[in-house]
Amino acid sequence: MQPFALIRPTTLLAARDRVHEHPRARLFRAGGVDLLDRMKEGLDAPAELIDLRTIADEKSLRGINPDPAGGCQLGALVTLAELAAAAELDAVLREAAGSAATPGIRNLATLGGNLLQRPRCWYYRNVDLVCLKKGGDACLAVTGENKYHAILGGGPSFIVHPSTLAAALLALDASVDIAGDTPRNIPLADLFVGPKQDPTREHSLGPGELLLRVVLPPAPPGRRSAYAVAKEKQSHDWPLVEAAVSLSLATGVMTQVRVVLGHVAPTPWRSREAEAVLENQAPSADLFRKAAAAALAPARPLRHNAYKLPLAQGLLREALHRAADLPLPE
Amino acid sequence: MADGTRKLKVGFADQLRDIEVALPAGEPQPWDATTKLDVVGKPHPRIEAAAKVTGAARYTHDQRPAGLVHAAVLRCPHPCAVLDALDLEPARGAPGVLAVLAVAKPGDRLLFAGQDVAALAATTPQQAHAALARIAVRYSPQPFVVDTTAAMQPDAPLVHRAQVRERSTEGDEPGTPTGSSQRGNLRMSPSQKKGDVDKGLRQAKVTHEATYSTQAHTHSALETHSIVLRWDSPTSLTAWCSTQGIFSVRDELAEVFGLKPQDVHVITDYMGGGFGAKFGASAPGSRLGFIAGELARQARAPVALLLDRREEHLCTGNRPDSIQQVTLGAAADGSLTAIKVLAHGSGGIGTGAGVGRNAFAIYTKCPNIRVESHDVFTHAGPATAFRAPGHPQGAFAIELALDELAVKLGKDPLELRLAHNEHPVRRHQFELGRKQFDWDNKRKRVADERQRNTRLRHGVGVAASIWGDFGRGKAVVASLSVGRDGSIELRNGLQDIGGGITTVVAQVVAEVLRRPLADIRVRIGTSELGPSVGSGGSNTTSSVTPAVRAAAEAVLQQLRELAGKQLAARRPEDVLWDSKGARVGGKSIAFVDLCKHIAGEAIVATGTRPDTYGAYPSRFMGGNSVAIAGVQFAEVELDTWTGLVRATHVLALHDCGRVMNPLTCRSQITGGIILGTSYALSEQRVMDKRHGVMLNPNLDSYKIAGARDVPAIDVVFTEVHTGANNTGAIGIGEPATIPTAAAIACAVFSAIGTPVRSLPLTPDRVLAALGAIPTAAPARG
Ligand SMILES: Cc1cc2nc3c(=O)[nH]c(=O)nc-3n(C[C@H](O)[C@H](O)[C@H](O)COP(=O)(O)OP(=O)(O)OC[C@H]3O[C@@H](n4cnc5c(N)ncnc54)[C@H](O)[C@@H]3O)c2cc1C
Ligand code: SF4
Repeated sequence: MQPFALIRPTTLLAARDRVHEHPRARLFRAGGVDLLDRMKEGLDAPAELIDLRTIADEKSLRGINPDPAGGCQLGALVTLAELAAAAELDAVLREAAGSAATPGIRNLATLGGNLLQRPRCWYYRNVDLVCLKKGGDACLAVTGENKYHAILGGGPSFIVHPSTLAAALLALDASVDIAGDTPRNIPLADLFVGPKQDPTREHSLGPGELLLRVVLPPAPPGRRSAYAVAKEKQSHDWPLVEAAVSLSLATGVMTQVRVVLGHVAPTPWRSREAEAVLENQAPSADLFRKAAAAALAPARPLRHNAYKLPLAQGLLREALHRAADLPLPE
Repeated sequence: MADGTRKLKVGFADQLRDIEVALPAGEPQPWDATTKLDVVGKPHPRIEAAAKVTGAARYTHDQRPAGLVHAAVLRCPHPCAVLDALDLEPARGAPGVLAVLAVAKPGDRLLFAGQDVAALAATTPQQAHAALARIAVRYSPQPFVVDTTAAMQPDAPLVHRAQVRERSTEGDEPGTPTGSSQRGNLRMSPSQKKGDVDKGLRQAKVTHEATYSTQAHTHSALETHSIVLRWDSPTSLTAWCSTQGIFSVRDELAEVFGLKPQDVHVITDYMGGGFGAKFGASAPGSRLGFIAGELARQARAPVALLLDRREEHLCTGNRPDSIQQVTLGAAADGSLTAIKVLAHGSGGIGTGAGVGRNAFAIYTKCPNIRVESHDVFTHAGPATAFRAPGHPQGAFAIELALDELAVKLGKDPLELRLAHNEHPVRRHQFELGRKQFDWDNKRKRVADERQRNTRLRHGVGVAASIWGDFGRGKAVVASLSVGRDGSIELRNGLQDIGGGITTVVAQVVAEVLRRPLADIRVRIGTSELGPSVGSGGSNTTSSVTPAVRAAAEAVLQQLRELAGKQLAARRPEDVLWDSKGARVGGKSIAFVDLCKHIAGEAIVATGTRPDTYGAYPSRFMGGNSVAIAGVQFAEVELDTWTGLVRATHVLALHDCGRVMNPLTCRSQITGGIILGTSYALSEQRVMDKRHGVMLNPNLDSYKIAGARDVPAIDVVFTEVHTGANNTGAIGIGEPATIPTAAAIACAVFSAIGTPVRSLPLTPDRVLAALGAIPTAAPARG
C-alpha cells in the first residue's frame, strides 16, 4: 500500500471541493472496508483519503429520518449493523443488511460505501492482470474461471454487482439523493452503470459527487418482503446469488410486486418477467415456481456458472414463500 | 533398573491382556492399563493460555530485536519464464534501502508464479515494498501448464527437464515408498500391492468403477512463514522462526552459511500453526533463511522476513490435488475381491502427490489390492507435507467408492466396512459409533426423505482413518532440574506448535515428582535447551513425554536417596514419596526442606526415549509402530433448492494411546475435523489456466470454514494401552483429519442418492448431481 494522507473535513462542501480538484488522487472514505482492501491489493493508490465521517454540517448523512413525502431517508453513513437493527424498516432490507459480510464489517461498513463498492471479480482484484475493467482489451473471466460471474445482462464485462443492499433497496423502489454541482434525486436503478454503457465503472456519480442518502417512498398498505441468499460458507463469505422481493397482500392477491436478484448480473437485476407472472395473482407454490422460471428464462450462463439458474430459482421461490407467508415445502 | 523383560497389561475397553516387553537398562516401568495417574490424563487447561489470549505471547511476527530492518521479495509473476535481465542498482538507491540480493540469475528458468527472483531490506516494510518496483527485471515468458489433466498430455509443456529428486521433511509419513521413474510431466512411483487385482476383478460378480477428484489445498496457517535473523558475530547467529522443527532450522542455516550448528541459535517461543509446511529455515518454494541471512549480513542489522498472505498461498506448500480412478470388485455375498486405485496428482513443481494408505491398509480382508499413485508436474508452487499427507484425498475416494458399491450390493455401508476391516480397535469404534450416532435410525430417516423427495434432506456417512505412531527413539534429550529453592524446571529444545505439548510435559513432571502442576516451569522453544524432535508425523507427544518421564524418574531417584540419608532409611525402598515430600517410618521431611539439602545448586538429570518397544494391538504396515485407528460419522443437511450442504454433526472416535490431557487431545481432534470440513465443503486453490496464476491468494475467495460452518463435534477417545513407550502416548494430530471429508461426502451421497465425486462439495456440484442444471450448452465462454 502506498502512503496516503487522511483528510478529515468538517463541512460537506470542503469534502466535495477537495475531491473535485483531483478526483483521481483523492477518494472519499466512508467505512473504508472496500477502499482499504483495494489499496492493499494495489488497485488504487490515492494520495489522500477524504473522510466523510467528520462532516458535521450535513445531518442527513447520518441516521434514519422521516422523509417529507412520507417515507424515510437513510443517511449514506448509516452502517449495515444499524440498518439490520432498525425495526421500522422492511424485512427485506433488515435481513439483507444483517446477512452481509460479518458482524465486525457490518459495524463499519456504510450504506453509501456498500452501494458504491467495486466488484469482486478475481481478475479485477488481481493487480498483475489487466482486463477490460482496468482498461485492457478483453474480459478475462469470459474465457476463464467464471463460477461467480454474471448469468444475466453480462457483456462485455461479466461482473456481478457486489452490493446486497442494492438488491433489497431496489425491491423497495428506493431513490438516491446526490450532492453535486447539480444536486439531484434519481431512482436507485439509475445509479448503476452496466458494462455495455461503460465496463470501467459501476455507478454514475461524477467527480466529487457525493451520495447523501437513500430515500424510501411510503410503503403500500399490506407490504410484505423477504430476502434469501446462498453462500458457500456461512461465515465471512460473499453471496453466490440473492433474491429480494416485496409485494402487497392487502386484498388477497399480490400487487406492487418487486422481484430483484443479486449477484447474477453486473447491476442489481430486477425481473419484470417474474413480476408479471405474480402481479394480481393469489400466492401459490406453483405460481412461485413459474415466476422463478420466468425470471431466469433470459439467463445466458457462462461455462462454469449455469448452476446459478437453479440456485436463483430456488432462492427466489424461498423468498416469495416467506414474503407471502406461504409455508415452504418440507 | 536393570535391563530386562517386563509384563505389561495392554489393550482397550474390556479387551485387556498381558504382554511381555524387553526394556533397555534404565527405562522406567511403563505406564500401562493398571497404572493409576493423578495429573496425567486430567483436563488441565494450557499453561500458556493466558499469555496467548492476552497477547503477551510473542510470536516470530512480534520479534523486534534492536535495529531491526525489513525484507521484501520480488517474485516471478509468470508461471514459466527465463530471466533475461536483472538490475538491482536502481533499488539500491531507493529511500531506506540497506541491502539488495539477487536470488535468481539471468538465464535461470523460473517455474511458477511466485518463485524468488530478488530481495531487499529497508528501514521500514513500506520502503522495502516500494523499492521492489525499482528493480529492473526482464523475463521471456515460456509455455506453461497449470492444469493436472492437461499436464499429463504427451505434448504438454515440460515442467522439469531433468530427473527430480524427492524432497522430504519430518512432516512426511515415514516409510513412504521411494524410487521412481519419470516420463514427460509424469513421475511414476512404486505401487502398494498384494494378491492379484486383475484376478480379483475377474472373479467379481459386482463391480464399481469411477473417477474421484480432489482440489489443491493450501496450509493457510494463521501465522505466515516468518524468520527474524540477527548475526551475533561473523560466524554465529540467532534466528526467531515460525517453525515445526527448531533443529531443522538450525541445520539448514548452518549448512547454508557454513556455520557450526551450535553457533546457530534458533528460537520459537510461540508458533501460529504449520500443518506440515514449516520445516527448515525456508518455505518449500522460497529460500527464506538464505535471503534473511544474506540481507542481514549486508545490512549489518537484524532482518525480518515475514510473508504476506498472498506469498503464503503461492510458495509455502500445499496439499496436491488428485484424480483417482477406483475399481472395486465384490462377490455375490458382498465380500470384496479387489480394490484397485490408479491415482494422479500434482504437487506443482514438487513431488508428494501420493494418496496415502487408506485404500491399501484399512479394508484388509480384501485379498487383492493395488494402489498406484503418480506425480504430475505442473507450473505451480511445490507441494509439501500437509497434515496426514495423501490420506484425506485417498480416504475420500475409497470411502465414497465403497458406499457406491454398497448401494449396488444392497448393503449397509457400515456393514460392508465391518466385514472387511481387521483392526480390533477400529471394529470397536465402528460398533460404538453405530450406537452413539444412532446410525440405524438416522439411515431410516435419510432414506425416507430421499424417497419422499423432500426439499431439505439429511444425510449420514462414515469413514475411517489409518496412521502409525511415529514416535522417535533416541532423538530427545530432556533435562530436569530441581533447585535448592525447590524450583522445578524442565528444559528441552522443543517447539509447541499449538498442540499443547508444553502443558503435557509439565503434567508428566508433576505426576512423577508429585508436585503441583503450577510449580513446574517448562522451558522450551530454543535450540540451546537440548536435542528434540520436529513436530511432524504426529510424533511430538510420543517422542517427548517418555524422555521427560525418564528425566523425572532419574531426578526422583536422587531425591529419594537424599531423603533416605536425611531420614536415616536403611534401604532406599523404605522412603515413601508423596505430594508432601518424603517419609520413612514415622519421620518425614517436606519437599522444600529436603531440597535445601541438595549439594550445589540443583539436581539435574537427563532422560531419553528408547526406540518403540511394543505395538499392541497391530503394527502399522508391518513395521514397529502402532497402527492407529479412527472412525468418524458425519451428518449433513442439504437444501435441494440451492445445493447447499451444511455439516451439522461429526462423531469422532479415535485411538490416541494414553490420553495425556483430554482438553488438548480433544482440541487436536476438533481442529482436525474443522480442517477436514473446510476441505470437504469450501477450500480450493483456483488457478487460471490461461495465465497460470492463482486467482484466490487471500482468505476472502480462498474459503476457510468459519465459526458458522463448523459442525457440532462429539469426540470419543477409545483409549488404547499400546505398550509402545513408557508413557503410552501415541499421535493424534493427523489421524483426526483423515476421514472427515470422506464421511461428509458419503453423507451427501446418502442424502441425494447420487455421488458428488469431486471435492469441495459446493452448491454447483450438488446441483449438478441433482440433475438441476439445464444441460443446454453454455451460451458463452
Ligand atoms: C468478507 C467480506 C464479506 C462481504 N460480504 C458482503 C455481502 O455479503 N454483501 C455486500 O453487500 N457486501 C459485502 N462485503 C462488502 C462490504 O459490505 C463493503 O465493502 C462495505 O459495505 C463498503 O462500505 P464502506 O463504508 O466501508 O465503504 P468504503 O470502502 O469507505 O467506500 C467504498 C467506495 O465508495 C466510495 N464512497 C463511500 N461512500 C461514499 C459516498 N457517500 N459518496 C460517494 N462515494 C462514496 C469510496 O470512495 C469508495 O470508492 C463484504 C466484505 C468482506 C470483507
Ligand atoms: S468480468 Fe469484468 S472485471 Fe472481471 S475480468 Fe471480465 S472485464 Fe474484468
